This record gives sequence, structure tokens and C-alpha cells, in this order.
Amino acid sequence: MRAPKSFEDGMARLETILSQMQSEETTLSESVKLYAEAASLMEYCHAALEKASLQMEEIDVSRSEKAGPETEE
Amino acid sequence: MAEVITVSALNQYVKTLLDANDILFDLALRGEIANFVQNARSGHCYFSLRDASASVKAVMFRSDARRLGFRPEEGMKVVVRCRATLYERDGAFQIYVNEMFPDGIGAAQLAFEQLKAKLEQEGLFAVEHKKPLPTYPKCIGVVSSKTGAALQDIRNVIGRRWPAAKLLLCPVNVQGFEAAQQVADAIGKLDKSGRVDEIIVARGGGSREDLWVFNAEVIARAAYRCKVPLISAIGHEIDFTILDFVADRRAPTPSAAAELAVPDRAELLRALSQLEQGCQSAMQRRLDAASGRLMMAEQQLSYDMTRRKLTGGQAELAAVQKELEAAAQSCIQKRQAQLRHAAALADSLSPYRVLGRGYAMVYDSKGRLCSADVLATGDKLTLRGAAHTAECTVTSVEELNESTQKL
Repeated sequence: MRAPKSFEDGMARLETILSQMQSEETTLSESVKLYAEAASLMEYCHAALEKASLQMEEIDVSRSEKAGPETEE
Repeated sequence: MAEVITVSALNQYVKTLLDANDILFDLALRGEIANFVQNARSGHCYFSLRDASASVKAVMFRSDARRLGFRPEEGMKVVVRCRATLYERDGAFQIYVNEMFPDGIGAAQLAFEQLKAKLEQEGLFAVEHKKPLPTYPKCIGVVSSKTGAALQDIRNVIGRRWPAAKLLLCPVNVQGFEAAQQVADAIGKLDKSGRVDEIIVARGGGSREDLWVFNAEVIARAAYRCKVPLISAIGHEIDFTILDFVADRRAPTPSAAAELAVPDRAELLRALSQLEQGCQSAMQRRLDAASGRLMMAEQQLSYDMTRRKLTGGQAELAAVQKELEAAAQSCIQKRQAQLRHAAALADSLSPYRVLGRGYAMVYDSKGRLCSADVLATGDKLTLRGAAHTAECTVTSVEELNESTQKL
């Protein structure tokens, strides 16, 4: 079971799991494994959504080249 | 000859005369801009206003220039509100401009249409060039006034819908003629920072002139160059600026831009809980199906077991029955053989067979078998041989000797 890279990744994986679980070909023991994975993914996605408060940072338009390594281009 | 005075006194005198005049104190003036310069350090603007036959020097201080809705260009026809007076140091007659507008919206509109046509021709509005917005942005660049309502609206909406995102604000003046260059630079800056997934360029409502800055070519080109998706949110629903045409998405208001920029947490929670229910019911169905099959199998098995027991019992019963019959049969045969044997033995021991060898049996008168030893003379008796009987009378009884017996 791999940990999701992001909320997006987690949701996509959940959708895949659901369709696998709905498939007739999936065995009971596979379903149980998938269900366990889904449970931890849902916990992750819920946590991502509940994340507390919006953060804001500022960069200055005029202080161009000195601002930091991210302005190398 | 009049009294000699200093240059300073002259200039001061003339200035007093001019300042006392109400018309010169606040007038509207029409003219064409010439020799426009802005002092880089002070921010004050210097230019001339002229018509076909005359010109006048003009100054616009930084505090007023900041509020300009467009960039003054050489030859641009404008109307200014100003005060006309003398600059004492140079003895220069000049006007101090408080406000400046393009002369006639018609001219401005024409310039707008011309620029729009040019950029469209160049492909800046091309649909193929429009980039899709990210579904789950981690960081959103915002180009806006730091103090405006636009930023506040964006913060409110994103804070409610998708607080996991981060805002990276590049504050700009959205008024004044430096605004265009600043906005363009801010777009480039955020894009090149590599930190943002999309950019919102926002300006709250304002008059048509206020929003005019977003028609600047420099902004359009910066937006076109921008590698990350860009949302424009300038002014009102009905006003379209050049930036709106170049942007990847156009929002009517800053709040609407924020809604476009991020997913809705509440909606995603619903989607998540739907997935949750889906997984749960899929699991439940799978369990139900499995336990149903188990139950069926159990029933089948117990039915089979009963059947097997029954048929097994029947066979056993038949076997036992057979055994029993055989045992009975052999028992009867054995007894019959014994009987035959006993009968043969009994036959061989029968006294009547002895009679055949010449012996006879003695009965008394009453028909009882009696021993010769008890007979007395005169007794009547019957002798029985093998085939005949004889009636006899005892004439004498004598005891037998050993010797005679041996004979």
C-alpha cells in the first residue's frame, strides 16, 4: 500500500479502488485488502480537506534579481 | 522711470496676480501631450500641452499621477483639470495638473479596438493557446493591490473553498500610469518564480477609465508569455479589457476568479463521502455474496450428507439382512444334519432292530415290558419277536448258573 503524493493522487487512487471493488473479478480477499487501503486514503483525503487556514506570502515586483534563488531565470 | 525691483519680486508679483484669478485657479484644459517625462526619483511628471498654435508647460505631481487610469503617450489628446500659475524660480508660466483623462472616450475606444485587432491578428487570443486551470492548485499567484477589496474577496473565497492552497501576492498599483508596467512585471515575476500553479490578476470595480490600464499592450504580452494559467478578474461583468481576451480564463469579479481557481472543499467532501459509501457498499455486497454462497454450500453439503447416510444405511441394512438369512439357513441345515444323525443313532439303538437278530421282548398280562427275573411259575405273558407275538405261560422259573451262562 503506497502513500498518496497529494489529495489529487489520493482521490484518483480511491476511484480506481472503487471500480476494482465493484468488478466481479475481484476476489473477497482482494476486496478486503482494497478496502483497508481505501480507509487509509480516505483518512488522508479528509485530513487534506480539513487543513486549517489559508496562508499568504508576498513577493516584491521591483526587487527582481536579488529576491532569491527562485528568480534565476 | 519706475522703481527698480528684483527678479524675485517681479515673479512673486506676477504669481500673486495670477493666483488671485478664480478662472486660472481651477480650469479644464484641452490639449495634446508633448515631451512627457517622469522623474524617476520624485515620481513627478513633466510635459507640455499644446494645440495647433501654442503650448504650455505642465507638471503633474506624483500624488496625482498615481491615480492616472492610462499611460500618457506622446501626441495623446487629453483633457486636464489644472491650476495655471507662475513657477517663480524660472519665471515660467505653467499649469499644475490634478487630473487627466483621454479626450473623448471615442478616441480611447478607437485605440482599444486597434490594439485588440492587432493582438488578435498576432494570435494572442487564440483558443489553442489557452491553458487549462489546475484542478488542485497548491499555490496561487495574485497580482493585485495589497489594500484593495479584490484581494480581500479572493482571500475570503479561497479561504472558504480551498484553504489548503497558499497565496503568493505580488502587490501592484492598479492605478496610475506605472500600473501597466507593474502589472506586467508582476505577472512575469510570479511566472518565473516557479512557485505558483496559476495566477489571478484582479482589480475591483472602478470606472471605465480606472480599468483602462488593463488594456495596456505590455500587460497583454506578459499574460501571453506567462507559462502558468492566468485568470483575469478586472472590474465588472460587462467590461471586457484586452487582458480578458488574452487570459486563459476570464472571471467577471475577483470572487468569481477565486472560485474558478480552486476546487470547492464542500463539494469534494461530498465526492469523498460518495466514494466512501461506494467502497462500503461494494464491500458489503461482496461479503453478502460470499456469505450467501457459503450458506448455499453449507445447505448443499448437509443435504448430501443426509443422502449419503441414508443410502449407506440402506446398503448396510441389506447386507445385514443377507447375512441374517444366511446365518438362519446354515443354522437350520446344521440342526437338520444333527437330527438326521440322531435319528440314525436312535434307529441303530432301537430294541425292535435287536428283535430282528432273534431276541424277544417279554410283556406281562397287563402289557408292561417286564424282566424275566421277576417272573413266577404260572404267569401269563406275551413274547414279542421281530414279526410275531406269542402267548405263553411260565412253567418253571430257574436261576441261571455262571457256567451255564458261559455256554
